[in-house]
Amino acid sequence: MTQEINNTELNTNLNSETGAPTETANTEITHESTLYAEPIAHIGNFTITNSLFTSWIVVVIIFIIALAVRLSLKKIPKGIQNLFELVIDGALDLCDQVTNSRKITNKAFPIVFSVFFVVLLNNWLGILPLGGFGLIEAGEHGRAFIPFIRSGTADINGTLPLAILSVLGANIFGVISIGLWKTFNKYVNLKAIGGIFTKIRKEPMVLLTAPIMVFVSALELIGEFAKIASLSFRLFGNVFAGEVLLASMGAIIAYVLPTPFLLLEVFVGVIQAFIFAILTLVYYTIASQDHDDEHHEESEGGEHKDVH
Amino acid sequence: MDSFITTFHIDWKIIIAQAINFVIVLIILYFLVLKPLRKLMAERADSIKGGVEDAKRNAELLKTTKDEYAKVIADARAEAHTIFQEGKKEAEEKKALMLEEAKKDVEAMVASGKKNLEAEKAKMMEDAKREIVSLVVSATEKLITDITDDSIDTKVTKRISKIS
Repeated sequence: MTQEINNTELNTNLNSETGAPTETANTEITHESTLYAEPIAHIGNFTITNSLFTSWIVVVIIFIIALAVRLSLKKIPKGIQNLFELVIDGALDLCDQVTNSRKITNKAFPIVFSVFFVVLLNNWLGILPLGGFGLIEAGEHGRAFIPFIRSGTADINGTLPLAILSVLGANIFGVISIGLWKTFNKYVNLKAIGGIFTKIRKEPMVLLTAPIMVFVSALELIGEFAKIASLSFRLFGNVFAGEVLLASMGAIIAYVLPTPFLLLEVFVGVIQAFIFAILTLVYYTIASQDHDDEHHEESEGGEHKDVH
Repeated sequence: MDSFITTFHIDWKIIIAQAINFVIVLIILYFLVLKPLRKLMAERADSIKGGVEDAKRNAELLKTTKDEYAKVIADARAEAHTIFQEGKKEAEEKKALMLEEAKKDVEAMVASGKKNLEAEKAKMMEDAKREIVSLVVSATEKLITDITDDSIDTKVTKRISKIS
């Protein structure tokens, strides 16, 4: 998707930031919405992309908000503390509905809450009307405009680490909750393989069931990678599509047409952050449950629910 | 895989940088917001819970105290009534006794007075008689002294002797 931008408008906005000479006023400057984040600076051989820069801004914003909350803490809540208490209380209740256990909620909540905040602020920063701030670089097809702000979640390099940390964190949580052996056996079912030798005399059917169980375990392992892929690409796809949609609408009728879509994207930003956070919580909950115990309890007619 | 990496410009350095960003956010939110805020909320919830329990305890205590107060008041009233009735009864008995005694005393005093009065009367009569006799004797003696006539003397003497 290529979008042409009025060069004179851009020069008035950008010359002070880029130092680009004014004699280029007649050359056409284009802005292409790329699948990847564009580099805006280099430190040695490390490239700073606009999505990474946006993520840093998000970190700074979160730090400022967190500091404001920390400094305003009082026994009788007021202002921002009130808002955060309301949000945290509601979020904890919501998480309880997913985990069915306050114990699991308490352990997973900091990560889930952080994921939600990071994704939400990244999504919203990406749709802020700050697209005019950027730099002009000479590319293969002439001069190209590179905005400073691009949502951290509109870059797969931004969503992939979040997804990896969520899934990895869930597995570490599983190891802590049910032990290394049980977590390992979910993916490489050594129990089923061992069962072939120990149960073959009593249950000859084990020869048939054990390979299936080993295969299912292997699927679980593949499923973990699928989780990473689905989490990262869902978020990236939605946010990137939203940005492309806004740019397209802006190209058709500037200011007027993008406005309803901008409001829609604000909503989509919340929904996507919520989905990512809730899925992370679901992975944590699944990882903390021992399926063997569940089967035992189900066979005994018991319910697998912790007391709040 | 290569096409995937080149299409999306996968850069492990940026991935690590983004992961570090997330960890920094997690640390910031945990230590500056979640931990202190949840601690404060838990403390507040505890204090509210304690306050509610205290209020319940106080309400129970108030109810018990009110019951005890009512009971004490009722007992006191009953006791006061009993004491009053006993006192009244006792006073009436005492009154009756005192009246009886007073009556007896009055009667005794009246009887004694009568007796004294009669004794006095008798004594006075005796005294009066003696006085009269003495007066008569004296008068007679005087008369006798003045009247030298023996006939008179004899006549008077007879009369006196008759009187006495």
